[in-house]
Amino acid sequence: MIPLSHFLIISACLFCIGLYAVLTKKNAIQILIGIEFMINAAVLNFVAFGRYDKENGGGQLFALFAIVLAAAGVAVALAIILNVYKHFKTIDPSKIDKLKD
Amino acid sequence: MMNEFIPFISSSINDTIASLSYFQSEATLLAGFILVILSDLFFSKKYPQLSFGLTISIILIVMVQSFGLLHIESKSLFGGMVILDHLSILFKILFCLVSLLFVLFIRYNRSLQQHEKGTGDLYAILLAVHLGMNLMAMSANLLMVYMALEMVSLGSYLMVGYISRDQKQSEASMKYALFGAVCSAIMLYGISLLYGFTGTLDLNDPSFITGLNNIPPMALGVSLIMVLIGIAFKLSVVPLHFWAPDVYEGAPTPVTAFLSTGPKIAGFALLIKFIAVINSLNIASFDINLMLASMAIVSMVLGNFAAIWQNNTKRMLAYSSIGHTGFMIMALFVSPGEGYKALIFYMFIYIIMNMAAFLIVDEIEEQTGKQNLDEYNGLGRQLSILMICFVLVLVSLTGLPPTVGFTAKFFVFSTALNAYNSSGSLIILMMIIIAAISTLVSLFYYLKVPLNAYLRESAYSGVRVSNTAKTYLSMFLAFLLLLLIVFPSLIEQFL
Repeated sequence: MIPLSHFLIISACLFCIGLYAVLTKKNAIQILIGIEFMINAAVLNFVAFGRYDKENGGGQLFALFAIVLAAAGVAVALAIILNVYKHFKTIDPSKIDKLKD
Repeated sequence: MMNEFIPFISSSINDTIASLSYFQSEATLLAGFILVILSDLFFSKKYPQLSFGLTISIILIVMVQSFGLLHIESKSLFGGMVILDHLSILFKILFCLVSLLFVLFIRYNRSLQQHEKGTGDLYAILLAVHLGMNLMAMSANLLMVYMALEMVSLGSYLMVGYISRDQKQSEASMKYALFGAVCSAIMLYGISLLYGFTGTLDLNDPSFITGLNNIPPMALGVSLIMVLIGIAFKLSVVPLHFWAPDVYEGAPTPVTAFLSTGPKIAGFALLIKFIAVINSLNIASFDINLMLASMAIVSMVLGNFAAIWQNNTKRMLAYSSIGHTGFMIMALFVSPGEGYKALIFYMFIYIIMNMAAFLIVDEIEEQTGKQNLDEYNGLGRQLSILMICFVLVLVSLTGLPPTVGFTAKFFVFSTALNAYNSSGSLIILMMIIIAAISTLVSLFYYLKVPLNAYLRESAYSGVRVSNTAKTYLSMFLAFLLLLLIVFPSLIEQFL
């Protein structure tokens, strides 16, 4: 059996990769991919922890809900990014700066 | 293994059925959501305002149902997924007020009404978000917390990007959606860690507290902060405020008014639950309360000082709402013993003030096309009634008599002083001093509006414009602000 710590290390790596992508990428869709990494790191955590929670199965359940909500969130965000592209002809967040102090 | 669960099936079904009767207002919202979609789909050509009528009647029904539940002390529903208590019912009534004003705002906003997409979908989204906010106020389980939060977030992203008329609006919706998604992903990771530490998702389960007490403070601190990041995003409190000015400026004004009240107050409902959990821990080396207090202080300072330099009115109100958030965190901090009375009272007044302020800003923009403070010259004569209302609302936002903003601020300050006298905590004293100073500072930017509108003349002396429904609505709200200082018991009797 694979020990719990292996899962946790992988999920921590996934989370950090996702956060790195969010902070550095110059493309809104790549940022979305980074967010997806972070969500899936949490989902992996839930499933790994859920193994020790036989009574309620809360972890597995939460993982299912999180996957569905992440899909819904990505759908909304992609629609919004499409709108941004229509107006700006770019989806580089650093070039989209009409609103600032 | 499955056979072990069979004896529990009937009892859990009974529990669910018994819970349903306490879930009327949510059921109404759900049915209303579907009804509004269907009515918009099939009858929008024939009766263009049908979805408006439906939405407003649904919200009124929900309000009546929520008032009917006020006598309940505390009731655990659906196997502990949600808990219905007095505080959450008060929050539900506040959300009804927000939604009601928002629906009227949409109805009389010209740019939303003239949009080819129509407003039917916006009403449907509002009802779904309202359901999410109700669940946020009642949730007692981490799964429920996350689902309700996402429901509110997704709906708000859609609202901000609903028209996407120009570059600014689409930019605002993208910033909001991306920042929001990152914050909720971080929160989800924090929740997964909390689940791992405790083995349960139930916030009120005793094993949740014991589990958290048994792990190293550093790990606990990191995971709690991750969860708080998700909530702080909804509150738009420093250091997670950076989206607020941009989104408030870019979004359609009715949506801005909604975002600065509804989701923010729902965030407070969640924060109260987490503070209850944190306060029952015995952590020595990691002080989350200190962190929250300093967030409140920095929000008050930054919100109020940054507002001074703003020229766009919506941006100024955005920074002032960050300052108000800091003030509300102080109210939350000092009043747990009194059942958050001062906080709820302040929120009620805050909803009226903020909605009225954005209504008036929107009306000015639609009548004259002016969005900036330095263009308001001479508006005192052109839009006399509206500007009188605006000044009243701004006086109330500052917290001066003769408006109820004074009463609300006074309640918070007196509760805070009581808390300081009984605990002698230095951090509370700090918060009180900063709050007093920032109230003074807020005078500078709020009074810029009457200064420009009344004392500075403009070369253009245009025709007087006719009063619209929005003018009457803001007159009513401003009147309410004057009335409630005489009769604060109209609200207090419910607290």
